[in-house]
Amino acid sequence: MSRTVVCVKWVVAEGELRVDPVTGIVDASHVRQKVSDYDRNTIEAARIAAGTLNGELVGLTFGGPGARGALKEVLARGADRAVQVVTDGGARADGHVTANALAAQIARIGEVELVLCTEGASDTYAHETGPRIGELLGWPVVTNVRSLSVDGSRLRAIRSLGREEETVECDLPAVVTVVPEIGPAPIPGLKAVIAAGRKPTELVPLAELGLSTPATTVRTEVTSLLGYLAERKHVRIADGDAQTKVAALVAALAQQGVLR
Amino acid sequence: MTSAYVFSEDARLAAELVATAAGLADVVHLVCAGAPPSDPPAGLTSVIALEPVGSGSGPAGDIRPEACTAALANLIGERGADVILVGATVSGWEIAARMAAILGIGLISGATALRPAAAGGWQSERMMYAGAAVQTETWLGPAVVTMAAGQAPQPARPVSPGLEPASIERIPVPLDSRVRMVSRAAREIEDVDLAGAARIVCVGMGVAATEDLKLATDLADALGAELACTRPVAEDREWLPTERYIGISGVRVKPELYLGLGVSGQVQHTVAIRDAKVVVGVNTDPEATLFGICDYEVVGDLREIAPLLTEAIRAQQS
Repeated sequence: MSRTVVCVKWVVAEGELRVDPVTGIVDASHVRQKVSDYDRNTIEAARIAAGTLNGELVGLTFGGPGARGALKEVLARGADRAVQVVTDGGARADGHVTANALAAQIARIGEVELVLCTEGASDTYAHETGPRIGELLGWPVVTNVRSLSVDGSRLRAIRSLGREEETVECDLPAVVTVVPEIGPAPIPGLKAVIAAGRKPTELVPLAELGLSTPATTVRTEVTSLLGYLAERKHVRIADGDAQTKVAALVAALAQQGVLR
Repeated sequence: MTSAYVFSEDARLAAELVATAAGLADVVHLVCAGAPPSDPPAGLTSVIALEPVGSGSGPAGDIRPEACTAALANLIGERGADVILVGATVSGWEIAARMAAILGIGLISGATALRPAAAGGWQSERMMYAGAAVQTETWLGPAVVTMAAGQAPQPARPVSPGLEPASIERIPVPLDSRVRMVSRAAREIEDVDLAGAARIVCVGMGVAATEDLKLATDLADALGAELACTRPVAEDREWLPTERYIGISGVRVKPELYLGLGVSGQVQHTVAIRDAKVVVGVNTDPEATLFGICDYEVVGDLREIAPLLTEAIRAQQS
C-alpha cells in the first residue's frame, strides 16, 4: 500500500481577531477556528497525487481537542481517513514540537510515499513544518512548489523562486510543500460532507508517540502578541447621491494634496 | 564571546545580515555554498566556503544552495553558535527550517527585530496573522533566524570598517544530490512597478463583471495610477496577472493614494497597503472590513462612483 499524507493546521480565523484600541492586546477568545486557508488547495493536490499513486490519502493534524474540526474538513475534501495527534492540555507547541509529533506519526502510519504540507499557515506563515518533517524522517524536501506530478517512484515539481522557477526531480518518499497556485480548492458537495462522517478517524495522544522530552519541549517562548493599530481618518462618505459622494471625495483628496 | 553564523545565497542580503550580526555578536562568520565572494562584506571574522565535492545536478553543473543544508548544520553544530542568521529567500526558508531540525533548535522565520533579551538569551519580533499582529519570542541557546532583504534590523553597534580582512576557510563537503535540478528559467513577468507607484487603483472581488474592470482601468488612466487587484482577482478569476496583486504573498505598496474598488479588506491584503499615505475604499457594504483602515470610506456602488470620479478628475485636470 502506497500512502500519501497531507498535513493540515487548525488555526484561529484571523479576520475575527479584535485588537484592544488602547493596549493593542489581541483578543482571540470567542474567535472561530478553521483549517488554514491554503491547506484547502494542498488537500486537493494531495488527493490528486494519491490517486496517481493509486494509494490511500491520510489527513494528519496536530493540536488540542478543538482541532477535530480539521479532520472533518480533510475527510470531506477527499482523504480516506484522518489522524489527529492530540496535544497535552492546551500547551503551546512551536515548530520544533509540531514537526517532531507529525514526523513520528507519519513513521507510525507506515508505507508513506509522499507528504504534502502547505508552504505556510495563515497564522504563523513560517515556512517551517514541512522542511523540518523531511529532515526528521531523513527524506528529501522540495519546497514552494506550484506544480507537482508523481510517477511511480519519483516526483517532478516546479518551484517558484521569485523571478525564476526551478524544475526538480526526486525519488519518493519525499516531503513537498506547496503554494496555493498548486491548484484550486473545490468546495466539497453535500454528499462528500455526509460521506466524511462515515470515514475512519483516529486520535493519538502525543504521549503515545514515545518521543523524548527534548523532542516535545518548545524551543522558544511567546512573550507578547500585539495587534497592529492603523491610524486613519475614517471619514465616511455615505450621504446623498453618487454625484454628491464623488464631489465630497474629490474635495477631500484635493485638500490632502494627492490629486496634483 | 558571542558568535554568529550568516548564510545567504543572495550576496546583497548576506551583506545586510553580516551588518546585523556584527551589531549582536563578537565574531561573525559568513558561510557560503561554493566559492567564497571576491569582496566579502565588512565586519566579518571569517568566510567559510563549503565546496561540494563533485558537480551539481543543474544543467551547468550548478549547485542548489539547499544541497548544502546538512553540511552547514553539521559545521555549526560542531563549532557552536549563539546566533544563526539565514536570508529569508525561498531557498533560505528551506535551509533554515531543515537546519533547525538537524540541530534540534528553534526557528524564527522572518524576524523584524532581534536583540539580546534582558533576562539573558535572545528576543525577536515577527509578524503573525499576515501582519495583523506582532509576536515577541524569547529563547536561550542558539536558534536559526531568517530575515528578509530590507528587514534586517540595523546594528546596535557600528561596524568598524578597515579592520583586518576576514580569513577564508575552504571546507570540502559531500554533495546532497537527492533533489536534482532539471532546469531553471526566468518567469515571464509583466513589467509593472506597483511597489514604486505613487497612485494605485485596486480591484477587489466586488468588481463582479469583466465589463466593470474597464471602469477601474479608466479611473486609473485619469489618475495616472497603476491598476492592481486582490489575490483572488488574479489567481481565482485570472483577470489580471499575478504581478498585479497586492498582498502578503504578493506585492507590498506605499503609494500616496490607494483607491480600492469593491475590496473587502482581508488582512492578507490590507497588511500590504499599510504604508499608503491616503486610503480610499468604495464599497456597497457599509460594514466592509476595508473601511476599518480607510481615510475615506465611500459607501456606494462602484459602477456609479468610478465613472463619475473619472469624469471629475478629468474635469479638474483640464
